[in-house]
Amino acid sequence: MGDYVRACWDKAEALRRVAGDEELLQDLCHIFLEQSPALMERLRLAVAEGDPEAVMRAAHSLKGETSCLAAYASLLARQLEEMGRGRDLSQAVQMFELLDFEIADLRVALQIHNGADQ
Amino acid sequence: MNEAEKLRPREQSRDGTPANLDAVLIAEDDPMFRRILTHWLEKWGYRVIAAEDGSSAWNILQSSDAPQIAILDWMMPGMDGIELCRRIRSEQGRYRYLLLLTAKDAKQDVVTGLDAGADDYLTKPFEVEELRARVRAGKRILELQEALLQARDALRFEAAHDPLTTLWNHGAILDFLRRELDRQQRTLQPLGVMMADLDYFKKINDTHGHLVGDTVLQQVARRFQGALRSYDFVGRYGGEEFLILVPGCGVADLIATAERLRCSIADHPIATSVGNVPVTVSMGLASTAEKGMESDWQQVLRAADAALYIAKAEGRNRVAILPTVVTAGRVGH
Repeated sequence: MGDYVRACWDKAEALRRVAGDEELLQDLCHIFLEQSPALMERLRLAVAEGDPEAVMRAAHSLKGETSCLAAYASLLARQLEEMGRGRDLSQAVQMFELLDFEIADLRVALQIHNGADQ
Repeated sequence: MNEAEKLRPREQSRDGTPANLDAVLIAEDDPMFRRILTHWLEKWGYRVIAAEDGSSAWNILQSSDAPQIAILDWMMPGMDGIELCRRIRSEQGRYRYLLLLTAKDAKQDVVTGLDAGADDYLTKPFEVEELRARVRAGKRILELQEALLQARDALRFEAAHDPLTTLWNHGAILDFLRRELDRQQRTLQPLGVMMADLDYFKKINDTHGHLVGDTVLQQVARRFQGALRSYDFVGRYGGEEFLILVPGCGVADLIATAERLRCSIADHPIATSVGNVPVTVSMGLASTAEKGMESDWQQVLRAADAALYIAKAEGRNRVAILPTVVTAGRVGH
């Protein structure tokens, strides 16, 4: 299980970014767990509708939040953001699916993190 | 802002509120970054006001006690950080320190952001200590600005006021005389002018010393101010001479006002370190309601001076307006 968790996010780096404040990190995980379904839904819709501006915005938000948590999903979100900015969504569906898997794993990891610390 | 307001000390000028350097406005649509920013800023002792988009941030900034430091996210729905920077920079008033949050991978953002008016930027995700240092740098600049504004206001005040009495000084009261005469020409409201001179002031100085003389001048100034309206002008014209302007005052009102001022001095001795010192004042009046007094400030001053000379010659502690003495009291010396 430990290896699986490390594959999604670098907890040590995330903790370093909040200057070792465990409580703040818990809060951030909690906010992400609350926020991400709606953000992913927005992104899914934007990709489905082929709306590059909306893809860019939703992916930008996801990129910011996941990079806060030092999660690898941020790299995929960034790719999607760039596709939106470049108005080329030809690879967007595949990229979204990758991101969707990654976010699902990340959510599990964060739930474990928050549950274990409580 | 008129000239008189400009010349007053700063707590009465500008927008009247003290600078708010311990509060920070956050404009950030992302709840995670809002949480991070709020968490640290509050931990460092700042009061945090958070807005979820550009337009609410703009609304918050319209209030007079809005924070001077603002952290603005670049990408927000509706009004974004850049637009917000531009709007804030188009405002008049106190300088605000604007810290723009940008994404790490968008290089062109930085130049556009600084061009739009941001003072500094921070890339997300940022290091906690970097946030702290950049906010502190902003606060330092704003503190420096406040100190400069206060120094400027203090200099302005000193340049226009008599240090002993804090009344308008010679130059300032003459400026007001010229300006009020101009205004009177437009509005046709009469302007009353009084030249007041303390009687036997040299004797007070010689008998009790200059420190007592200074107290007398300060107390006379205070009594004059207390007996006049807030929009009248009292200046220390020379040593023991005061020039007083009462706008919108006809001859009868002018005489009544002067008589009130004379009595405010003569009726009660002035308390000093050597005990009570009786003081009287002679006053020469001129009014633009009189013929030939319409506009020339020098002529108005000459008329008041001439009337003052008559008040002195007729025995002091009295009010005169050309060509006659109009009121008089006993002389205590």
